[in-house]
Amino acid sequence: MKEKDGFSECPEQQVILYVEKEDGKYEAMQTGSFISANYLDDYFFKRNNLEKNLQSKIEKAEINAIEYYLVLEDLTVSELAARAGIMKWVVRKHLKPGNFSKIRDDAMKKYSNVFNVPVEEIIKRQSGNRK
Amino acid sequence: MIIGNYHHKMAAHCESGSITSLLNHAGMKITEPMVFGISSGIFFAYFHKMKSFAFPTFIVRNKPGQMRKNLEKRTGVKFYSKDFKTPEAGQTALDLLISKGVPTAVQVDMFYLDYVPSWERVHINVHFLVVIGKEGDVYKVSDSYFPNPVDLPVSSMNKARFAQGSMSPKGFIFYPEFVPRSFDYEKAIRRGIKKACFYMLNLPIPFLGIKGIRMFAKKINDWPSLARDTEHLSHEVMKINILLEDQGTGGAGFRFMYATFLQQASEIIGNPGLKDMARELMEIGDGWRELSLFAARIGKNRDLGPEKFRQLSTLLYGRADKEEEFFKRLSKTIK
Repeated sequence: MKEKDGFSECPEQQVILYVEKEDGKYEAMQTGSFISANYLDDYFFKRNNLEKNLQSKIEKAEINAIEYYLVLEDLTVSELAARAGIMKWVVRKHLKPGNFSKIRDDAMKKYSNVFNVPVEEIIKRQSGNRK
Repeated sequence: MIIGNYHHKMAAHCESGSITSLLNHAGMKITEPMVFGISSGIFFAYFHKMKSFAFPTFIVRNKPGQMRKNLEKRTGVKFYSKDFKTPEAGQTALDLLISKGVPTAVQVDMFYLDYVPSWERVHINVHFLVVIGKEGDVYKVSDSYFPNPVDLPVSSMNKARFAQGSMSPKGFIFYPEFVPRSFDYEKAIRRGIKKACFYMLNLPIPFLGIKGIRMFAKKINDWPSLARDTEHLSHEVMKINILLEDQGTGGAGFRFMYATFLQQASEIIGNPGLKDMARELMEIGDGWRELSLFAARIGKNRDLGPEKFRQLSTLLYGRADKEEEFFKRLSKTIK
């Protein structure tokens, strides 16, 4: 790739690309991320829709707040179980919409650590108290 | 305390960038593409169903940690490396090294790094950065993906270093403890290239190397049936662009960086054939970039009908054919 073809304007996210300079040498070039420069608005559009969609599913009792964050953070049940240190079958049980209130405090704390979201926020998410 | 003479530099990739920076700091003059090439960093693997991935994905480099190990074998560099059972032990060891003025690479889950913008934060346990200081409860960090050193609270660092799950870091640290005055570049380059060709061409596993690119080409037609909805499919298709261009590859899924390595290697060992191979790989990389731009475009336009997936598939088969031919000739060039 020629140097001129690699350039993107994106101060928020810089990357290094290896490009062909004018003298024919291949060297590193610091530039903006192409996808962030051109498609970040689309990422946030989809992200907002996903959040709304998942919140609406919580309200309809189709999922609970644990699954909300599981999907949002692109985790699988196996991965969440491994990260939280909770047996997979127990995670599956916790994911059932009606079982949210039965999740013990220690398990909730473990989920909170993995999701990097305070326990109170997960509970608020479940009860629909969020703005 | 900040390690004053540490020179922060952006790099294409976190692992090769951290290794290069640490070696440069220890007095070894070596470039990131040379580290990447000698350690046989170039690769391809497609994962259609994995317990740890919510959607099919692929990688374009060798296994995390392998670069460091291969480099040790081929250059004589020795890295001190250690993992830990508890965050307390991990923090104590790291703090001690920093207090002694030893810049230290750590393995982390990128999701817990506060300085990373929200759209880049994903649960990936194999991000590497170099800790270059500590003031109070804040580490000073040299992360190859950022133009300047950044701050990271101790609590976030511990979370990131001790995240669990697939390929969990276990507080892993490393730094060079021995750097040879010189090494046999020609031998190291030849071994690095031969192994890379072997990985790409000869692994008898259907999702690895060139076979992996072909499996990706075949299986991508199934993606629409695996997505939750159109926006999810669009997101996953656009991630092809991120994985090839953005997620620390130097462009075109490391193909541009490997081409740079071949050009540098050609000059070092006086093999003009490698220079031609470098040019060829740059052109192959242009094809990968064309593919990733196509993926971003159809994802954004939600133009995700079967015909577009067939086009993506054709482009991937094209890359597989080109790379198969390329690596066969590269292995002959280096004999």
